[in-house]
Amino acid sequence: MSPAEPLRLVVADDHPIWRDAVERDLVAAGLTVVGTAGDGEKAVRVCLAVKPDVLICDLQMPGLSGVEVTARVVPLGVRVLVLSASGEQQDVLEAVKAGATGYLLKSAEAGQLVDAVRRTAGGEAVFTAGLAGLLLGEYRRTAAEAGAPQLTARETEVLRLVAKGLTAKQVAERLTLSHRTVENHVQNTLTKLQLHNRSQLVRYALEQGLD
Amino acid sequence: MTLLVPSAARPELRLEAALWRAVSLFRLTSLLYAVVVVLASYRNYADRRAAAVVLAVMAVWTVVTVIRVPPALWLLVVDLAVTLACQQSSLLILTQQQIEAGRPTITVCWAAAPVAAWAVLRGWVAGATAGLVVAVGAVVERSGASQATVNSCVLLVLLGSVVGYLVQLARRAEASAAEAVRLRAETAERERLARSVHDGVLQALALVARRSSDPVLVELATGQEQALRQLVAKPGDVATGKSDLRLLLPARPGVEVAAPATAVSLPAQVAVELAAAVGAAVDNALQHGGSTAWILLEDVDGSVVVSVRDDGPGIPAGRLAEAAMVGRLGVASSIRGRVQDLGGTVTWGSTPGQGTEVQIVVPR
Repeated sequence: MSPAEPLRLVVADDHPIWRDAVERDLVAAGLTVVGTAGDGEKAVRVCLAVKPDVLICDLQMPGLSGVEVTARVVPLGVRVLVLSASGEQQDVLEAVKAGATGYLLKSAEAGQLVDAVRRTAGGEAVFTAGLAGLLLGEYRRTAAEAGAPQLTARETEVLRLVAKGLTAKQVAERLTLSHRTVENHVQNTLTKLQLHNRSQLVRYALEQGLD
Repeated sequence: MTLLVPSAARPELRLEAALWRAVSLFRLTSLLYAVVVVLASYRNYADRRAAAVVLAVMAVWTVVTVIRVPPALWLLVVDLAVTLACQQSSLLILTQQQIEAGRPTITVCWAAAPVAAWAVLRGWVAGATAGLVVAVGAVVERSGASQATVNSCVLLVLLGSVVGYLVQLARRAEASAAEAVRLRAETAERERLARSVHDGVLQALALVARRSSDPVLVELATGQEQALRQLVAKPGDVATGKSDLRLLLPARPGVEVAAPATAVSLPAQVAVELAAAVGAAVDNALQHGGSTAWILLEDVDGSVVVSVRDDGPGIPAGRLAEAAMVGRLGVASSIRGRVQDLGGTVTWGSTPGQGTEVQIVVPR
């Protein structure tokens, strides 16, 4: 994608007021919303039809949930930014494992939203403290399971600092690492979990004879 | 919060009705048996007219007791008196030979009915006592305790205790079943409320917080959204007495919580104390530190770790002791006290430019 090309976005949320509010904020920032959807199935259909750069997706929708939508559109090359109400941690984690690269609370300001959409489109993980906390918890929960991905000591250190609200720059300062290295560590923690999730799905499919 | 409890949640009334139906059935059947026994021995009785009168009294009293269920306490006292009177009337009705030969009394097993009734009304002690009273009556009537009389006496006391015990068991089972039904209804109702609140009010509040440019309105809406969310969240498991620490942490504007996706279960009392310590640390951070406090909750094997960081200027190295003197860490002692009571530890740290951090570790 060349920088000159405007970002093409799809917004999926079953609450019309929310959908409209998010769309207005994005359009006001000069982004292009090429489609909207009020339920999960429509979100998948729209993504298939218009191949957006980023799908901004609510988690709780009738029909297909945000997690299922994420699992279906990520293989199409669509990046997913999850927009969730607080208190849906389990769903956020599932969406991230299914391939969503960003997560933002619905209460985030318009500026944060636009910034997050740009970063998601650029392939960067939108890493909030909340998401770091979820990933730490998930790695610890599965630590004893055979074949589960493990964090290195350095990755744990980085994730803990991010979860305590430090920016990548602050983490880099504190650990005397380069900014780039910190971002790689963060990205790795996400990728390992997604890869593991995908391989588990594949194994499950093979076991069930659904290859 | 008013909770809907289905009408089926009052099964204790059905149990009571069933128990008294069983007692009534016993009264009617034993009356019928008494009639058959009396008719069989009628010709040999010393006083046939008295036999007819006593049988009539028994029939009338049976009807009274069958109609008046559940009986009042006084009715059962009268019941016992009537039964004893009928039982003793055998002395007039039966001939001396019949009594000595161990022929059935005129009441036969009808005399056991009040024993069952006392057991159902008041439990096993009352049942056993009523059984003893009727048994003493039987011994007096026979003027001595033959082997057969002793057998009946033991059976009467056993009847009272066993029926009473079983009734108590059934009532307890019924009560816990009713409690389970109530809890299920309450949970279902809470979930229904949570769904409706989630889809409506919470969305509206979040939107207000997002679109308003008035900081007071934003803070109000955010605070109310978080408070409402905690209110409709499931606070803990009543059955295990454990609470999810995540739901007890202070959630309000200016506080960001990072936690696992799964519950961090602690005994309710520990969770409340720990949450209070975290609350104090957050207050302290926002008062002396900066505009935001971050809470990181971790469930590391064997212990729960909670870190609270602020974005204030931090405390230069080597000056933590001095800071303690001027009161920055004044709250520290109260936090430390609470955590030590839970067998945990508190450590303070600061990186210049990256705020101050409190780490609380409590063993599971």
